[in-house]
Amino acid sequence: MTRRFTTAVILAVLLLAGCSATIPTDPDGTLDRVSGGTLRVGVSPNPPWTDLPDGPDGDPAGTEVALVEQFAESIDAEVEWVPGGEEDLIGRLERSELDLVIGGLTAKSPWSEKAALTYRYLETTGPEGEKQLQVMAAPMGENAFLVELEHFLLEAHR
Amino acid sequence: MSRKDSTGRNATFGHTELPDEEQAALRKAIRLSWLSIAFLVTAVTGVYLAMGSSQAMKAAWMEDLLSFIPPIAFLVAVHRTRKRPTPEHPYGYHRAVGVGHLVAATALLAMGAFMVFDSASGLVKAEHPPVGLMELGGNVVWSGWLMIAVLAYTAVPPVLLGRAKMPLAQQLHDRVLYADADMNKADWMTAVGGIVGILGIGLGLWWADAVAALFISGSILYDGVTNMRVAVSALMDARAETYDGQDPHPLVPQIDERLSALPWVASARSRVRDQGHVFHVESFVVPVDGYAPTLEDLTAARASVVELDWKIDDMVLAPVTELPEQLLPEAENQPVESDGGPDAGR
Repeated sequence: MTRRFTTAVILAVLLLAGCSATIPTDPDGTLDRVSGGTLRVGVSPNPPWTDLPDGPDGDPAGTEVALVEQFAESIDAEVEWVPGGEEDLIGRLERSELDLVIGGLTAKSPWSEKAALTYRYLETTGPEGEKQLQVMAAPMGENAFLVELEHFLLEAHR
Repeated sequence: MSRKDSTGRNATFGHTELPDEEQAALRKAIRLSWLSIAFLVTAVTGVYLAMGSSQAMKAAWMEDLLSFIPPIAFLVAVHRTRKRPTPEHPYGYHRAVGVGHLVAATALLAMGAFMVFDSASGLVKAEHPPVGLMELGGNVVWSGWLMIAVLAYTAVPPVLLGRAKMPLAQQLHDRVLYADADMNKADWMTAVGGIVGILGIGLGLWWADAVAALFISGSILYDGVTNMRVAVSALMDARAETYDGQDPHPLVPQIDERLSALPWVASARSRVRDQGHVFHVESFVVPVDGYAPTLEDLTAARASVVELDWKIDDMVLAPVTELPEQLLPEAENQPVESDGGPDAGR
């Protein structure tokens, strides 16, 4: 009885998997929306990763800013920069007002409960000589978007 | 005087000598328990490395971690019960089985309740689990596939171990081993539940993960409740029951039958409690009118009962003028009748 039920569940899932084009898929369709559209990116200044040399109204700069611009190009998206503090930006990411937050975040970031931290794309040395693993913050559970971004970041640092 | 097993220790439960078959079963059960522990080490490591932020993986990991308790409890209990009775512990150390069982059940119950709450709150808060990429030996893969592979690995061995342990639990009359085998046999459902949850995430169904975690936690909680009930009733000196706690033990009516069949006995009743592996038997016999049983009668009567089964060793026989009702509740209403089948000696 339970065995038959389990078999049915597995078959149903495999059937669903067969119908769906990609695994993983976004529950809220982030990748579909930003591809060929607008990528809303929160920037928290943290040189050399991110900086706002011309103030909050000017264009941001930094290595992560450059990476995001390349990523946006790879999915044919326009970047809309939203400067702010980390906590404020993560809050907006949670409320789906942003698609990505950068600011020299590391794998040790306490935001891992509220945001999907990407796979560490770069290993660096921190101010006290400790190992640091650089990450970016994507919306929770938007796994197709997350995987697309991670593929890009890993390729960029090969 | 005492037979030795391969490790050189006496193959006994307290002062009860184990027959050869049971000695072999005990050695096999000990081997299987070590094998379970070895498998669990690999499973716990594998699931931990692939875990990521999946609730279902976390639940499966906790379950694997909790699965260490029953085989360890069994090994510790078997070690303790080997000890012979001492003046401080005249009944021996058989209760170690019950204590081990209660500890295992408490852990299952507490963790199960906590995890049901944890995964239910994940569902209520609509937490979307992020599952990204992972680098594995230079290859980049979606970590969901890795999780599925690890879960698939953890699905099969416990079922085989559970199936191998079950007959030994019956033969050795060991409740802890039974609880362990029973949980092992159901373990594949955890793995399949987890796999369905991960596939759900892959398909963009964020809730699939939390639902799978809830299912796994529920099964842990259920194991905890079942085991707690059996362990507590055993420690409360419930009547001797079969190894799975389903039926009264067939040896109990056999004891009364054997005693009643003696020519000088008018009626006989016993109370039998399960000490863990072995029984503690107190039998009351009423001689036929006007007959005073001799010491030889009593010794022979006791010997005839003890030879019924290896589990009966600790036995007290008391001749009485009438069956003491306060010690044998409702004995009058229960006819002496053996319902033991071919298994009766076990």
